[in-house]
Amino acid sequence: MAMDTMTGVERTARILARKPVDRIGLFEHFWGDTLALWQEQGHIQPNQGMEDHFGFDMQGFWPFNAVARLGFEPVVVEETDETVLRRDGNGALLRTHKTHDATPEHVDFLVQDRAGWEEHIRPFLTPDRARINFEGYRAARRKAAEQGRFFFWSGVNVFELMHPVCGHQYMLMGMAVDPDWARDMVDTYARLTVDLMDILFSEEGKPDGVWFYEDMGFKGRPFISPDMYREIIQPGHRRTINHVKAMGLPVIMHSCGYVEPLVPGMIEAGIDCLQVIEVKAGMDLLRLYRDFGDRLSFMGGIDVRVLYTNDRAAIDRELSAKIPTVKGNWGYVLHSDHSIPNQVSYDSYKFFVDRGLELGRYL
Amino acid sequence: MELFERIATCTSRGKINQNSPYPPDLRGQEGVFELVRDALAGGVNPNDILTQGLMVGMNDVGRKFSKNEVFVPDLLMAAKAMTAGMDQLKPAFASGAAVHKGVFVVGTVKGDLHDIGKNLVRMMMEGAGYNVIDLGVDVAPEKFLAEVEKHPGAIIGLSALLTTTMVNMEATTKLVKEKDPKALVVVGGAPLTQEFCDKIGADAYSPDPQGIIDWLNARGCGCSCGCN
Repeated sequence: MAMDTMTGVERTARILARKPVDRIGLFEHFWGDTLALWQEQGHIQPNQGMEDHFGFDMQGFWPFNAVARLGFEPVVVEETDETVLRRDGNGALLRTHKTHDATPEHVDFLVQDRAGWEEHIRPFLTPDRARINFEGYRAARRKAAEQGRFFFWSGVNVFELMHPVCGHQYMLMGMAVDPDWARDMVDTYARLTVDLMDILFSEEGKPDGVWFYEDMGFKGRPFISPDMYREIIQPGHRRTINHVKAMGLPVIMHSCGYVEPLVPGMIEAGIDCLQVIEVKAGMDLLRLYRDFGDRLSFMGGIDVRVLYTNDRAAIDRELSAKIPTVKGNWGYVLHSDHSIPNQVSYDSYKFFVDRGLELGRYL
Repeated sequence: MELFERIATCTSRGKINQNSPYPPDLRGQEGVFELVRDALAGGVNPNDILTQGLMVGMNDVGRKFSKNEVFVPDLLMAAKAMTAGMDQLKPAFASGAAVHKGVFVVGTVKGDLHDIGKNLVRMMMEGAGYNVIDLGVDVAPEKFLAEVEKHPGAIIGLSALLTTTMVNMEATTKLVKEKDPKALVVVGGAPLTQEFCDKIGADAYSPDPQGIIDWLNARGCGCSCGCN
């Protein structure tokens, strides 16, 4: 097998700019219980992470805390054997599962309109140093540099910052009924993000890139129309992305769900790479590559349901159907279309990585 | 514009009442609340308001949603407008002057706490004229079964967002079908496919709520609403 001739940081930086590289990139997300199982099975050493074990090209760290009431200890309202219901520092009442990782159930929110936002959230969103995990960022950045990995600041952007305070339904109705309120939330969170980045990067140094998580779609459709994206969300994206790009850093944007209609607007906002391209929601990596591959790099888009089968031939077919095409513009990072759960065997995932990189080699 | 058409338009456009600022082009005009209130006061048949006004409006927005011509905010506003009308029809439902198409029991299956998709289905099924019983999230198969026993002939709607939890749809479907082989079980959620629906023995799958409504309408729901 040919040898890698680039470090992760060199390779990823070039992939995000769609410049020639030795092979496609490699990165992945896992559900929390996958690492524990693979460690228990002896495939991965107890103190070893996935990045080290599989040789990922990238490593991130999430340093910011945007909760309104800093230092607020979530209050347990109800607890069963399987779930726990808590009121958090945003005034949101959320039910989470104890036995597996999943998005919490939205039970209730103190913020349901502009008045609630102005009373319970807005005054508290100050760029306080206590919102930043300096030590964690410093350690992760140092480790990534030691390993030659592309280090990215990781966090959410305005869409994902708003709904934790008021839930999707109030947020989406607010965008329709009171767009000025929604725009105020967008502007406030964009400003907070930029201010916190300035503090962190000036003290600890810049990352190699920035990764924004923005789940703006679900099955078959985005939550909002492309027009509403441009009117309400895009100004926040432009503000944060312009700030990052002015520092010379590339931007990766994640979205679960079907967001293809929003992609032109996201490109206008300045993203360099779209991740995660969720097949089961209707996203199509090959179509995206055809339509936007000259302007956008991609990460993901390999159907994780195929990995669930633990069938090597099926995994090979899925990789072979996509990688030889999407590596064409140098702008692709191998990643599943969501996260790897523990029903994917270690051997299946290892095969996915080995075969994917074999198909994705240029030199 | 004729009364029922106005109610349908206001429902579809999410015009709740006269004070509602949404949608901007209907600002200051009467909404569903005023139109239904005045229709009832004028002696209009409540069932006609339901079937020729509110349901027509929700059907319209549901179809547009299926075609990505409108999005979730539009659907949520339409549902709110519909509720402004339905609340006033409650006495008519109680007296029998208006009738539901049937009972629809909906919930997110055991182990899954996601509720956005389930809530959209609930709203659309209410808008389609069903009496919806929402069991919430993380619902055990036995809880669905208890509702089937309480409401013979009820249609069961199962939702899941995760590949790890959609498998729990099979247990629920089996339990319900063992109790009542004729009971209809419909399924939806991000990871689902028609193949999975067939595999677990459910009766219908749709990637969007309107698909389920169309499927039920095509079967004929056995009511007097004219959907057959």
